[in-house]
Amino acid sequence: MLADIPILSLITFSPLIGILVLLLLPKQNSRWLKVTAVTATLIPLALSLWLYADFDGTLGGKPYKESVTWVNAALNKETMPDIASYLFKFQYQMGIDGISLPLLLLTTIVAVMAALASVHVKKRWKAFYLWFLLLEIGMLGVFMARDVFLFFIFFELTLIPMFFLIGIWGFGGREKAANRFLIYNGIGSALMLLAFVMLVMTAGFRVDQVDQQTQHVYYSGSYEVIKDNLTDPDSFVNAAPESPLHMSDTMRWSIFILLLIAFGIKLPIFPFHTWMLRVHAEAHPAIVMIHSGVLLKMGAYGLLRFGVFLFPSQMRDWATVLAILGVINILYGAVLAFRQKEFKLVLAYSSISHMGIVLLGIASLNEIGLQGAMIQLVSHGLISALLFLIVGSLQERTGTTELGELGGLARSLPFMSGILLTAGMASLGLPGLSGFIGEFLSLLGLFDSMRVLTAVAVLGVILTAVYVLRSVLAITFGPMPERFGALRDARLVEAVPMIALLAFIILIGVYPSVLTEPMKHGFDALLQQLNVKVGG
Amino acid sequence: MLSSYLTLAAILFCIGLYGALVKRNAVVVLLSIELMLNAVNLNLVAFSKYGAVPSLTGQMFTLFTIAVAAAEAAVGIAVLIALFRARGTVNVDEFDEMRR
Amino acid sequence: METVFTQYAWLIPLFPLAAFILLTSFGRSFKGLGVMVGSAASLASLVLALLVLFERMGEGVEDYQDGFKWLDLSTIQLNIGFEVTNLSALMLVIVTIVSLLVNVYSAGYMKSDERITVFYGYIALFTFSMLGLVLADNMLALYIFWELVGVCSFLLVGFWYQKPEARAAAKKAFIVTRIGDAGLLIAILLLFWYMPNHALDFVNIQNVFNEQTGTIAAGITTLIALLIFVGAVGKSGQFPLHVWLPDAMEGPTPISALIHAATMVAAGVYLVARTFDIFQASQAAMDVVAYVGAFTAIFAATIGVAQNDIKRILAFSTVSQLGYMMMALGLGSLTGGIFHLFTHAFFKALLFLGAGSVIHAVHTQNIHEMGGLGSRMRITAWTFGIGALALSGIPPLSGFWSKDAILNTALHENPVLFGVGVVAAFFTAFYMSRLFFLVFAGRPKGEKQAHDSSWTMTLPLIILAVLAVVTGFVETPWNNTLGTWLSGGTETTHTGGGLVMVISAAVGVLGIYLGWLMYVKGTIARDAVSSRMPWLLRLLERKYYIDELYQVVFVRGLRGLGLLLQAMDDFIIDGIVRCVGGAAVLLGRGGTRLQNGQVQTYGVITLLGLVILIVAIAGRRFW
Repeated sequence: MLADIPILSLITFSPLIGILVLLLLPKQNSRWLKVTAVTATLIPLALSLWLYADFDGTLGGKPYKESVTWVNAALNKETMPDIASYLFKFQYQMGIDGISLPLLLLTTIVAVMAALASVHVKKRWKAFYLWFLLLEIGMLGVFMARDVFLFFIFFELTLIPMFFLIGIWGFGGREKAANRFLIYNGIGSALMLLAFVMLVMTAGFRVDQVDQQTQHVYYSGSYEVIKDNLTDPDSFVNAAPESPLHMSDTMRWSIFILLLIAFGIKLPIFPFHTWMLRVHAEAHPAIVMIHSGVLLKMGAYGLLRFGVFLFPSQMRDWATVLAILGVINILYGAVLAFRQKEFKLVLAYSSISHMGIVLLGIASLNEIGLQGAMIQLVSHGLISALLFLIVGSLQERTGTTELGELGGLARSLPFMSGILLTAGMASLGLPGLSGFIGEFLSLLGLFDSMRVLTAVAVLGVILTAVYVLRSVLAITFGPMPERFGALRDARLVEAVPMIALLAFIILIGVYPSVLTEPMKHGFDALLQQLNVKVGG
Repeated sequence: MLSSYLTLAAILFCIGLYGALVKRNAVVVLLSIELMLNAVNLNLVAFSKYGAVPSLTGQMFTLFTIAVAAAEAAVGIAVLIALFRARGTVNVDEFDEMRR
Repeated sequence: METVFTQYAWLIPLFPLAAFILLTSFGRSFKGLGVMVGSAASLASLVLALLVLFERMGEGVEDYQDGFKWLDLSTIQLNIGFEVTNLSALMLVIVTIVSLLVNVYSAGYMKSDERITVFYGYIALFTFSMLGLVLADNMLALYIFWELVGVCSFLLVGFWYQKPEARAAAKKAFIVTRIGDAGLLIAILLLFWYMPNHALDFVNIQNVFNEQTGTIAAGITTLIALLIFVGAVGKSGQFPLHVWLPDAMEGPTPISALIHAATMVAAGVYLVARTFDIFQASQAAMDVVAYVGAFTAIFAATIGVAQNDIKRILAFSTVSQLGYMMMALGLGSLTGGIFHLFTHAFFKALLFLGAGSVIHAVHTQNIHEMGGLGSRMRITAWTFGIGALALSGIPPLSGFWSKDAILNTALHENPVLFGVGVVAAFFTAFYMSRLFFLVFAGRPKGEKQAHDSSWTMTLPLIILAVLAVVTGFVETPWNNTLGTWLSGGTETTHTGGGLVMVISAAVGVLGIYLGWLMYVKGTIARDAVSSRMPWLLRLLERKYYIDELYQVVFVRGLRGLGLLLQAMDDFIIDGIVRCVGGAAVLLGRGGTRLQNGQVQTYGVITLLGLVILIVAIAGRRFW
């Protein structure tokens, strides 16, 4: 029955309800604004949970698809008199499969938690929540858009609200951080747009033969069309090199590398990572929850969706490069995280390190590794959201996140310290918590093809323990400075999201099938293709 | 034969260009521009006589150019006079309103 | 034979898990809950474990395995399950007995601690993880619990978190064992990709490596075995990853007894025993195990001689004894290793709990500040003495028999290692007598009236003392029960006859006699060696400067690398970004300067552009 209603669009645009209600509320009434915003984020969560319950992995998510023609731009067809129409065709096309679904759930969950964490926001609540909900629409759209231009629009839709959310509600260096964020991501988006245009103009070509006489010829932004064209050996673009529609290897490689850089900035891949450090340190913790929890994942998602699925053979040729980049990310992030004196920067570098594991999983190009990468994405999203949730509450109480000034908080804040310690353990990959599953599967997958690199990456696992323990213990253990004696432990509104996030982390860690089941057949087609190419 | 005409035109053009770019007095600049136009006219006439396909088109075109140049000079001088009235100078260095 | 209880062996770890969940959820509101729930859960586990053990003692019992699909990908699937073998049944009983006794003991020892329920929660979590580790039927499941016991150890070492030393020790314990775990993880990855059908369970591992059909190449086998051993080295405090174990003594003493003497540190030995077929398939790996074990045994024993902290002496003794076990395994004697593990668990737990009782009474850990406690703390002194004798290998206590089994094997396999074992045994006896006499003999020091602790603390001591006496008799020259049971009747120990027994008993007695001469009689001056060779004493006191070495090489190294990379991040990567940004700004500035509103300047620029264009176009014809 879910297939009968446009559930994907409903999920994506359900935050609009919240936006409309917010617009009607007076802007001084912080209490009602907060309640409205949190309620508004609950709607997509409920809907996506419903979708999850209804989702059948074996079908590959086929029933959930929405498609409406959006823009038909006529092209000059004078040179081709015998065709009925010659168009640019962009569609409002949404779809969901095993790869989108976990990230969709992650988004809706983290959004609720971040909305709850926004209780510490001190000013301009109305604008804050308006941007916040707009951001959520963008994030949800990204994971479900099935037309490259629609994807691009949603992708951009996350940038603008994020820019303001960082720039207005952050800490001291917020403007600079926001600028950096916008510039780097702007460059990434520009490259992505370029790649998409090249993609549409080559692989987007499609001829619909209605009958003997009537032919509809168009360039489409539809992901399905592009993917069919690129991966079907009998398609136009894979025709003989003499054919005018043939897509050269140079073209493929150019698009692939453009996409790699575009999404690499977002992920971030070393050396494009410096922008996100500032965002982590300067933005409001609730916003960092979104940023680190979801926005970084859009980079990996894009890399998977467009890089791996559309260009499997390029991906295979570059698997080693990607794995090396991943290992660099892991070790580089870990060593630098070990050095930081500010907890938020430790977490920023740890994000870099953890995204390296995602790269490893992708580079493995087998089912185990790809699933591992996906689980790592979800898991890191939850863990870093949890960590920044705690950071927000800590900073609210102690006024600092400098490791040197904190200490012994387990005494005055036992609950929060316990959660922090557990989150740290999840981050360093303790079995029983979600971090381990992603890490283990990614490494397991990569080990098949790249033994030595995997072994080096395992070293990163040790370093992770080093920096996580160093920073977490510096906060919670040791002698407590006098002034922290009177701190109050977590309030209910803080404790609920903490426990909820932790519950999800434990759930995935103990029973990872909740994630792997819907993804189970998500990679079948890709793997088949990789195998065919390898064999033939 | 053609080359000497062209050389002369080139010399004239260069002098005009130099004047237009370097001289400060706006009147001199206008004069230099006329010089460049005339260098072009000379070329047109020379080609129409000694070019690969001799015809009258070049000379006709020159007549047009002369007329347009006259009009341009008239407008230019008028603008200059207006400027002089407003600012009391015809020094081109003084006129940098485009920057603002 | 039909098994009844074995099928429900999976319940054994679940009791402590339930206790943990109960205690973390409600512990804060009910202070007294910890002791009750924790002990009850351990007792339940113990009862079931004993039932399983008895069931396995019957004739012709098959190993029992069961499990469920944990992670089902379309190409592979990973299972989690449990397997009951004789070895794991024995371990179950060891773990549950010690756990129960420590639970009871802690009721007295931790009575005044306000976080006692948290403490009990942690112990319950540890017991759960340790039992899970023992029962795990495949490498992955074992690894999961392996990590969990590590984290519990970390939590309990750092239980008194306000002390900076506890924080440092906890961190060290976790990170150093983590290095070993990385090795184990790689071993699992190797196994996964080399085993037929990606099987990770012990049954298949056993079959594949036993067959000697060359399914897995010899080099890979050695590599896998060595990597597994790296994991065991980390967990069991073998050289060179032993550094965390002495520091881990910052934790409460019952924890030292439970985790860092009887159970978790023995997990490394258990792991090697569990994957013994892999090791047996590679002689090189066996040699490494034997030599590392032997070296650790003598290395730690010599350090133990020069330490002054009662718990640290015991910790080094643990390291040394674990080395013994490893040596036995490396020499091919599964029974010897496990037998020593079995006896050691009880007498070392006894020693630690006794030490705890002493510390509880005198509030110091320095043995030179103690003395004459024997008359005041009779139960503690007697039981501690039994433990010390057992550890020193005095017949007929349990330690003697297990050590004898190991030395017998060593004499047959490798006389050099036999010599090492004998020397280590001598040092063991010596430092134990030094410890015992300094603490319990002589005149009392300090003002405080020390006396025996409450029954909750002494009862476990008595029980353990009894166990330390009797457990040795399961495997004696005339009674081969354990060996037959464990190895299925193929392995015999104590073949060396009387000679080894005499030697091992003699060095034990000699060590004790020397200690008595030095610390009671005073015939030999205490500083007889140290005054002549002060550097030797310092070397031993500083534990051969291993910690310092690691500090310099690894910690500083990592810091230095961090500094380097930070500089790279700040200057090179950010520098490039700044350069690009700066270039854009500069270009803009230049552009602004050109826009001066002077038409003539524009004209010049246009001219220049034209010239460049012409030159470029003209130039193309020539180049």
